[in-house]
Amino acid sequence: MNDAPQFNRRAWLIGGGLTAAALIGTGIVRQWFRDQASVFIAKNQRYDRSLVATIRDGLTSCGLVPESVRGKRVLLKPNMVEPSRDCPHMTTHPAMIVAAAEVFRGWGANVTVGEGPGHLRDTDMALDESGVAAVLDATKLPFADLNYQEVAWTKNAGRASKLAGLYFPQAVTQADLIVSLPKMKTHHWVGVTAAMKNLYGTIPGIKYGWPKNVLHHNGIPETVFDINASLPKTIAIVDAIDCMEGDGPIMGTMKPMGLVVVGTNPTAVDATVCRLMDVDPWQVPYLRLAADRLGPLDERLIEQRGERWQPLVSPFTVLDKPHLQRMVRHRGVLVS
Amino acid sequence: MSWLDSALDQLASRPICGYARDGAPATEPTALAALALIASGRQADAEPALAWLARIQSADGSVGIREGQSPGWPTSLAVLAWKGANSTGSHTRAIERAASWILTAHGNTTPRDAEFGHNTEIPGWSYAEATSCWLEPTALHVTALKDIGHSQHTRTRDGVRLLIDRLLDSGGCNYGNTVVLGQTLRPHVQPTGIALLALAGESDPSGRIARSIGWLRRSIGVETTSASLAWALLGLQANHIHLPAADQWLAAASERTSKSGRSPHKLALLALAAKGWPR
Repeated sequence: MNDAPQFNRRAWLIGGGLTAAALIGTGIVRQWFRDQASVFIAKNQRYDRSLVATIRDGLTSCGLVPESVRGKRVLLKPNMVEPSRDCPHMTTHPAMIVAAAEVFRGWGANVTVGEGPGHLRDTDMALDESGVAAVLDATKLPFADLNYQEVAWTKNAGRASKLAGLYFPQAVTQADLIVSLPKMKTHHWVGVTAAMKNLYGTIPGIKYGWPKNVLHHNGIPETVFDINASLPKTIAIVDAIDCMEGDGPIMGTMKPMGLVVVGTNPTAVDATVCRLMDVDPWQVPYLRLAADRLGPLDERLIEQRGERWQPLVSPFTVLDKPHLQRMVRHRGVLVS
Repeated sequence: MSWLDSALDQLASRPICGYARDGAPATEPTALAALALIASGRQADAEPALAWLARIQSADGSVGIREGQSPGWPTSLAVLAWKGANSTGSHTRAIERAASWILTAHGNTTPRDAEFGHNTEIPGWSYAEATSCWLEPTALHVTALKDIGHSQHTRTRDGVRLLIDRLLDSGGCNYGNTVVLGQTLRPHVQPTGIALLALAGESDPSGRIARSIGWLRRSIGVETTSASLAWALLGLQANHIHLPAADQWLAAASERTSKSGRSPHKLALLALAAKGWPR
């Protein structure tokens, strides 16, 4: 069978003025973001309070210039892997989506929310169970079903896995900026899931299955890296208010943190998220692959904005499995 | 005009359809549209869809997700549509070629692993080539094989065994995992409906089918989303359960679908659930 149409990565570059943010995607700026990055942390956050101001402050303090997104297509990608009303701490809270949308709309961007739930073929069910359907309706936000849209093929820019290329849905290929809006969670196979792993949801189920098993068979860390390396400019806003610990990303228990973490480099954001969870980012396999290729893990290369992470650390429990225990070996005790 | 007539008229006016109303034609919604039209006695309206499915069938017999695009997991839906309309035998060759592909295709099996509560050694079907066996493609292929007279084929029997194995002890199922790392996962409506459609008429000493029917009955209602509701009702109908409130629930789901862009995929499923699977 023939492949779907290809698209050109050059078409993904954000055009515009001479600001750093407007140059995002060019080699110089990519290199700059890879070498060092800023990550913003806000504490004492709640879903019913001033998230718009928090997100706006976070993005601008990390170097995003509001004028650079005017008229651009911004895709907000929340995490709705397998929503369930009885487990709201599994998925990105709708208030985070609405607040992020308000920030980008306020800056003149054309905002779409898009997700390809990993475990549910009925996307409407995922939207309903997560509470996202109601807020999309109320705020007139368009939604792109990334599992069923038409797809385009692009070369795998990461090549950590054997996959020569990746299929992405239309809303992803046409976006000028992708905003990963994950929930901060433990993950029972790869330790932690946040900004980078959330982008599995940009991969279309219609091509890769439910779950997106082609990725699993080619290595979860490798394909997380490859997807992040192959996507256009991606930034992150992490819902770290009510989080998940233990048997994440689906069956874990709630861990309240009250934080929002923002950054223009998802690798640096995830490294910071790991530190907040008291997980060693160098032991998270996809972060080790991304280190100094997609962004910095070394805290000396991550400029902290807002709150310092050190006083906010609260150890997340991880399952008592050897592949996970090495990520928390520095704690010096076994956790269940 | 009732919601059902309106849905069928839309499908008849554009039977080769996509997931979204303005979306590119895709195999799953087109096959479901054909099935809905056939079930409503409007076979002539379904013919363009059936012909399109035949036209995009690959040389190996599979029918990909869209024209020229693998993987071939929706092949079973094309078979069901052709079979539903095959009173004249005009689709027999397409069905035979597709059946040949289905019987050759298989998902990966792996040695049993204590971290998983289900038997990963039972052969079934995957979504994409060289990946594991999952619940919905296995259930759809089993349904198609049974429909074309292969109920006793080894592959069908293995598929049935896999489906029963993947039902949760307390009833219902999800995409195809049961217990992972010691935790029982959550059941969902759509996969449970599709599994029960495939398992109609099977005996099950474990009682999981009966408990899944019970779970499904308790899990649907007026607010259940379109695709899940339709597959649930189709699964229950196949097991001779007809819920008095079903018409009201379908009408409510149709109204929501109309407000959100009249997806042909969802309207076809709702119409099919209203009319019942063509026999």
